[in-house]
Amino acid sequence: MAALSQLKMNYMPGTASLIEDIDKKHLVLLRDGRTLIGFLRSIDQFANLVLHQTVERIHVGKKYGDIPRGIFVVRGENVVLLGEIDLEKESDTPLQQVSIEEILEEQRVEQQTKLENEKIKVQALKDRGLSIPRADTLDEY
Amino acid sequence: MLGKLRGRKNGIFTKSHNEDITLIGKSLEDCPLDEDEDAFQGLGEEDEEIDQFNDDTFGSGAVDDDWQEAHERLAELEEKLPAAVNEQTGNGERDEMDLLGDHEENLAESLSKMVIENELEDPAIMRAVQTRPVLQPQPGGLNSSIWDGSEVLRRIRGPLLAQEMPTVSVLEYALPQRPPQGPEDDRDLSERALPRRSTSPIIGSPPVRAVPIGTPPKQMAVPSYNQQILCPKPVHVRPPMPPRYPAPYGERMSPNQLCNVPNSSLLGHPFPPSVPPVLSPLQRAQLLGGAQLQPGRMSPSQFARVPGFVGSPLAAMNPKLLQGRVGQMLPPAPSFRAFFSAPPPATPPPPQQHPPGPGPLVQNLRQHRNLNGAGDRGSHRNSHQDHLRKDPYANLMLQREKDWVSKIQMMQLQSTDPYLDDFYYQNYFEKLEKLSAAEEIQGDGPKKERTKLITPQVAKLEHAYKPVQFEGSLGKLTVSSVNNPRKMIDAVVTSRSEDDETREKQVRDKRRKTLVIIEKTYSLLLDVEDYERRYLLSLEEDRPALMDERKHKICSMYDNLRGKLPGQERPSDDHFVQIMCIRKGKRMVARILPFLSTEQAADILMTTARNLPFLIKKDAQDEVLPCLLSPFSHLLYHLPSVTVTSLLQQLMNLPQSAAAPAPSNPHLTTVLQNKFGLSLLLLVLSRGEDLQSSDPAAESMENNQWMQVMFMATRELLRIPQAALAKPVSIPTNLVSLFSRYVDRQKLNLLETKLQLVQGIR
Repeated sequence: MAALSQLKMNYMPGTASLIEDIDKKHLVLLRDGRTLIGFLRSIDQFANLVLHQTVERIHVGKKYGDIPRGIFVVRGENVVLLGEIDLEKESDTPLQQVSIEEILEEQRVEQQTKLENEKIKVQALKDRGLSIPRADTLDEY
Repeated sequence: MLGKLRGRKNGIFTKSHNEDITLIGKSLEDCPLDEDEDAFQGLGEEDEEIDQFNDDTFGSGAVDDDWQEAHERLAELEEKLPAAVNEQTGNGERDEMDLLGDHEENLAESLSKMVIENELEDPAIMRAVQTRPVLQPQPGGLNSSIWDGSEVLRRIRGPLLAQEMPTVSVLEYALPQRPPQGPEDDRDLSERALPRRSTSPIIGSPPVRAVPIGTPPKQMAVPSYNQQILCPKPVHVRPPMPPRYPAPYGERMSPNQLCNVPNSSLLGHPFPPSVPPVLSPLQRAQLLGGAQLQPGRMSPSQFARVPGFVGSPLAAMNPKLLQGRVGQMLPPAPSFRAFFSAPPPATPPPPQQHPPGPGPLVQNLRQHRNLNGAGDRGSHRNSHQDHLRKDPYANLMLQREKDWVSKIQMMQLQSTDPYLDDFYYQNYFEKLEKLSAAEEIQGDGPKKERTKLITPQVAKLEHAYKPVQFEGSLGKLTVSSVNNPRKMIDAVVTSRSEDDETREKQVRDKRRKTLVIIEKTYSLLLDVEDYERRYLLSLEEDRPALMDERKHKICSMYDNLRGKLPGQERPSDDHFVQIMCIRKGKRMVARILPFLSTEQAADILMTTARNLPFLIKKDAQDEVLPCLLSPFSHLLYHLPSVTVTSLLQQLMNLPQSAAAPAPSNPHLTTVLQNKFGLSLLLLVLSRGEDLQSSDPAAESMENNQWMQVMFMATRELLRIPQAALAKPVSIPTNLVSLFSRYVDRQKLNLLETKLQLVQGIR
């Protein structure tokens, strides 16, 4: 992953503000699990973000693939975390970039294996008379 | 005149691809371009014969009844201050303007009368107009607020601005338009054909776009970058700009520089330094396809700081960019490593951060590849400033907008009582300051000035919230807002009679009552704990009152704990035990103890000791009793011998008289097997020993009593089976000497082993 550089927050000490982060490259993790990388162009008081030249990065194992997305406007409540990317250290990664098709294929395979494992687990539990509700049927919170 | 101008509006489009058309906001009209006016009028002459006959557009309907103007003014009504209207310096149109101005003012007044409210009282319904920053008129005639306030920018402004197309920001789009200046009035009015779509930074509506966002730029002749696309209005067309147009590039690259670029495809374009290509607004919008920079924002500063930047490196960057490293929006302008990782490989397709988007555009300029070498010059400059400098999209968010956001954030920090509202932050910073103060005292290092956020202290104003009332409406229209929420459910509280409840419900209710009592007592506790701080902050005369309050609260707390029941000699332990069964209750008691008087605290301690086995049983899950050890031990040091003696009796459940037969003592066993119990017992023993040893000679009653009890205690201790003992928190050191008084050597050893009093055993 790209290294995150720390910036002194002299705008408003002791507070967390995105103003210092504007026009810098950021990595944003969304609540649905997506990873976006783009230049943070604009913010507002709800931490809604405008990302420029955004790329959605899909990671599978040691590989990753980038899908260019253009301009993203992200509603603040959907952001899990975000951090600045150090442009110098960005290429210093052990990960290998692959094409979009390949990474999507890898992702599909990964999802499939996960589903199958899940099924086996649930079946095993059922055999023993236990049932654990699946996470996606529960409330998000 | 007006008629002519308006008629031209339609004509303009057809000629547009040959003319330079800027998609601009109103501020454009402020640009003093005399040549434009001439050209404009020249064009107008042609159309005169065509459009002359349309009364509505050009005849009396136009001159007298300027509906479009009026509409526009109405749209701008909220934004324009009445003062601004009076500032207008139109000559020919003065009369009309004044007329409209009057209308405007009347309208403004009537609007304000309609809504009777004080915006301050309900910020949720605050009028947007109050919060919009007002443009300051600039002597240069251009709206300089669009520029960042950097000195560099101002210096460069001179030569550039003469030909510069003023640009508009998102915010500005919604801001009041400055009144057009004299000679340009004719033109301006025609350009203000459409009322502006209302946008508001408060509500956050998006700027108008000619093409949908994300439209990739069409392959075009290298466009002029001076075009501000942020808020394109297709109909707002500027008369053809004069041929001299070095400026637009000037921001990024002067025309000379452009010319100097070898093999530059730019040269091949209709871009001789003096002739700007002209695009239709749509084309331009498509080309740039979305948010664009104000050229003014970025480049002058860049160029000022990097004078050495001549054409070739800039063009060199170009192909790198266009090799698809950047997103689709990349203009074929000289650009910018900002988007690449530090050493960009020169060959495509390298691992790309932003896979290619601008297809057609890219192909156009791949010829620049041979200039790559020159571009490496900048590869090692990775400073933050550097990126910003080269980033054509930098500062899309204006300083003003940033200030606006930070203003909102600061507003949220305003508080009348920061201790109350922002307790943890205050505490944290206090701790930090204490640390640094301590460090300062110890070592005389340089005093680190920790920047502290100074939040505005706002005096608390009591707003009697008055809901919004509309004049002239029938009845009261209620507007539900944050300060005036609508009642959603009519919940009715019904209390049930005692008879109906089952046993379980009674138990549950009792527990709930206990919980409520705990909460109330906790609030009292927090208040009491806060008194010290308040005392320091208060005035002299207030202090006695504060002290009284505090005492009163402490009494209430104690009453709550013990269960104040009138008419009882001694309140039952039950209430207290109930509280002690709940984890929060135990922790609360631990916090309350320091505030109680010695008698009250001793009473609590006795009650605890009396009921200890039960409490231990209930504490099995929480294991929070040990938190009481600290306050208890503090208390013990203040207790007299009598109390300690009886305490020991209670704790060990010793019979009242020495002669009584000693039944099995499960009470003691339980106590010994619990960490808290054992620790407390040892503490009590230790205290007793201290008291004894401090006053050895006196054969006082208390001493005798103590000795009696000790005899019984030791007997008990010897008697109980060697069960698994708990590990006490700490073993007082004087226990060996204590026991040595009462038992002989053999039994002492036994006791030692049993209670693991000797350090070596552990």
